[in-house]
Amino acid sequence: MASKTGIDQLRAIEEQFERDRACVVDLRSLEDIRTRYLSRKSGLITTQLQNLRELPSSERAEFGRVGNELKTRIEAAIETLQTTIAEQEKLSTLERERLDITLPGNRRRIGHHHPLTIVRNEIEEIFVSMGYTVEDGPEVENTYYNFEALNIPAGHPARDPKDTFYISDDLVLRTHTSPVQVRTMEKVQPPVRIICPGKVFRRDAADATHSPMFHQVEGLLVDEGITFSDLKGTLERFHREFFGKGTKTRLRPSFFPFTEPSAEVDVSCVFCGAAGCRICKNTGWIEVMGSGMVHPNLYSFVKYDPEKYTGFAFGGGIERYTMLKYNISDIQSFFQNDMRFLEQF
Amino acid sequence: MKISLAWLKEFVEVPVEPARFGQDVTLVGLAVDTAETVGSDTIFELDITTNRPDCLNHAGVAREVSAIYGKPLRAPEFDLKECDRPASGIFSISITDVDLCARYCGRYIEGVKIGPSPDWLKQRLEALGVRSINNVADVTNYVMLELGQPLHAFDADTLQGRQIIVRRASIDEKITTLDGIERALNPSMLVIADANRPVALAGIMGGQDTEISGKTTNVLLESATFAPLSIRKTARTLGLATEASYRFERGADIEMARFACDRAAAMIQQLAAGTIYRGVIDTYPVTRRPVVVTLRRARIAAFLGSQVDDQIVERIFAKLGFRVDQADGGWSVEVPTFRVDVSREEDLLEEIARHHGFDKFAPTLPVWSGFGSGLPQYSREKSLRALLTGSGYSEIYGLSLSDDKIEHQFRPDVSLERLTNPLTEDASVLRASLLPGVLKAIQWNLNHGIRDLQFFEMGKVYKKGSERRELILAATGYLRQKSIQESTREFTFYDLKGDVEMILKAFDLEMTMEKTGVPSSYHPGRSARSGNMVKMGELHPDYTESFKVRQRVYVAEFDLDAVLESRDRRQLQPVPRFPSIRRDFSLLLDRSTRFSDVKAAIESAGIQELVEVGPFDRLETGPFPESRYSLAVSVVYQSSERTLTDIEVEQFDQQILHLLGQRLGAQLRS
Repeated sequence: MASKTGIDQLRAIEEQFERDRACVVDLRSLEDIRTRYLSRKSGLITTQLQNLRELPSSERAEFGRVGNELKTRIEAAIETLQTTIAEQEKLSTLERERLDITLPGNRRRIGHHHPLTIVRNEIEEIFVSMGYTVEDGPEVENTYYNFEALNIPAGHPARDPKDTFYISDDLVLRTHTSPVQVRTMEKVQPPVRIICPGKVFRRDAADATHSPMFHQVEGLLVDEGITFSDLKGTLERFHREFFGKGTKTRLRPSFFPFTEPSAEVDVSCVFCGAAGCRICKNTGWIEVMGSGMVHPNLYSFVKYDPEKYTGFAFGGGIERYTMLKYNISDIQSFFQNDMRFLEQF
Repeated sequence: MKISLAWLKEFVEVPVEPARFGQDVTLVGLAVDTAETVGSDTIFELDITTNRPDCLNHAGVAREVSAIYGKPLRAPEFDLKECDRPASGIFSISITDVDLCARYCGRYIEGVKIGPSPDWLKQRLEALGVRSINNVADVTNYVMLELGQPLHAFDADTLQGRQIIVRRASIDEKITTLDGIERALNPSMLVIADANRPVALAGIMGGQDTEISGKTTNVLLESATFAPLSIRKTARTLGLATEASYRFERGADIEMARFACDRAAAMIQQLAAGTIYRGVIDTYPVTRRPVVVTLRRARIAAFLGSQVDDQIVERIFAKLGFRVDQADGGWSVEVPTFRVDVSREEDLLEEIARHHGFDKFAPTLPVWSGFGSGLPQYSREKSLRALLTGSGYSEIYGLSLSDDKIEHQFRPDVSLERLTNPLTEDASVLRASLLPGVLKAIQWNLNHGIRDLQFFEMGKVYKKGSERRELILAATGYLRQKSIQESTREFTFYDLKGDVEMILKAFDLEMTMEKTGVPSSYHPGRSARSGNMVKMGELHPDYTESFKVRQRVYVAEFDLDAVLESRDRRQLQPVPRFPSIRRDFSLLLDRSTRFSDVKAAIESAGIQELVEVGPFDRLETGPFPESRYSLAVSVVYQSSERTLTDIEVEQFDQQILHLLGQRLGAQLRS
């Protein structure tokens, strides 16, 4: 009987465990039942098994077997519960940590490159990739380099003080970056293949299309066998790189003292794709540069042999290219430095 | 130059519509600025380049048009009826200064009736923007627009001594010109004089005393050639530019003077009656010799890129009025007198290119071996810009022209580069610093409600005789706006200092903080200098106030070239293999003690394992005397050879605390 009672008690414990197990909701209540059934000192199973030696030897084996099986089952059940609850708790922690992801992100303030820098760098990189070297020179320039050596002798209207800022009779704020070309040619024999970007000054009152200070980039190539066709090809290539593959370049006769022949350079209108619009005055073309074959008089200033060498030169305004690229209508906006303008670049 | 298409058609057939005509002349270098339909006519505003005075008239443009379309060019037709009496019997003409007047043609017309011009003439002139005056004056303007030769008509009876002398003005001579202004003359100016006085400013404007009036009956007609430079100088000195001076400055056709004189005389007779005396009084002391230029056939392809057929070359020159003769290997080309721009082979090549068509030369790329490269510091400059924009600074461009007073205020010791002819008073010097420009940018933005700003500029500053590049950083307002996540934070001195340190570190430069030698534009207690490389700090409120900027502005000015040219000498330090130990001390210090004193005291212990000293908290008030403040400092020990023991670290601490106490009277807060 005693043994029967013993087994029955085990059965009762098992039933009770099944009930308790259903009540486990978290790690703490799980720990409670672990202690209740399996604690070494007071666990219900543990104490039952300790009673083993008080049973008659004939019943011990049976009781021991059933008791140990029950212990194993309870241990396994608790282990399973443990895993399940840990998983649930992790999920509920993650749920609790849920954020309102629609709130705006924290942004560190990032500064902006000035559009003139962006465009200047872009132009420089295109020409460097075509084998040109970038050169610079002084902004306060000798009249010799700004005028004489460019075939603009004393008395020439291009030297009029109403158009040029003078520091003294023989010093001006350079009106173009061409003096850098002369300075370079003085130093090196052909081949010369350079571009000269930089600040230039003209005595123009400030308005939407004029500024007394602006930026130019000029190019010069002098070598044996350089032709007018090469000038065309070079400018066409540059404009395709800068404005996009479909861009057409057109040269049209003009006059500059330092080139012969001289040409204005037009590109197909970047706004209307040459269909005709307000900006290109319905011509489909926009003037962007002056260019030409280097005037032989210039070679005499720098002691190049005009029979041996020919070359071309070109120059345009960086502001103009930037205005066309980004559809900017007022040249003053480059120098007002309004954050609402700058932050768009 | 305004051109009437209807008038042009008197000289050449135009086989295309006006729009197409506009494109065609543009492509030979006569760029159309505007085209306007007036009745059945179209008026084109042509942008004639300064080298082409021959196109400042209808006959000249017609010559280009005849070359474009291959149509014959017609000369103006007129019937000149002279009487038997010779003009030279009435007037004498002499040129004293042949260098300034190469030819002077005169005609004498007797008994004209001055009156209004017929409507067709008025309309033609007015369509081209020329006001009709009277029949004789209108003829002179008409012939100028037709043939390019400026003319002048004198009331012959007002000319004293019946003679014309072309001479320099004498000192103290005066003339009242047609516009009613009395003008003081000097010997650099060429005048037309009668026996006693100047009666016209040569090639610029006639005199009031001798002008055609309602009472005029006898006319002396002038058609002359004056030296460009002299006309330009006189016109500029007197501030008097006219249609005549515009043409003479660029160069008139010496062979046109006589023809135009005849043409105008015939027209006057036709419109105002009168008797034309026989002959032109033509004073032409040295006949101009034609310019002949050799054109080598081979040079065409060598210069332009491809060969042009001989027939095309010869046709172009013939149409443009050049005489071409075949010569060995090319041509001998005689340049017509109206083409003052052509004197060498390249000029002839241009004519071929223009009229053959720029589009006929296929684009090619020059053959080249070698490599291109940016400016010496291009890539370093680019990475500096990236560092600055990454740190929140936006690039600005200030103007190099600035206000004298402002520049002087910021750089009182600099001798400014000054313009002799500024456009405006506030742009009369070249900037000596980038500060005013950056303050202007801040002011502009504040005025537009934007107060949190970080700017940088790289640009030249100038002083007498030199220019160099600087970099400026400027920051004002909040570094961070309040958000749900974070609270507001003002930009501070230490933010600026951190940015300066970052830049110097990026270029492997040492930062020293010197208090002396900082310009007065900085806050005396919040500014410093790092050698000659950097000036930095908060701006002095007086200086920001002058730009109406009433919030703190932090600025750092760098010698840009020195920064970019620095050599990066960094060598790798081995990455530590053993752990470091950090210890914190909370120190009580006298108010006069600065962090650098604490750091120096700690470092004076000479502990090799000390790798870092840094402050992390500062308390101004607390349970300690007012004369003191609390500074929490951490030190980090690390050995490259082993893990430090507790005993060693404790010893280091004691050494440091002892020195801090001894040197600075520092106490450890409990």
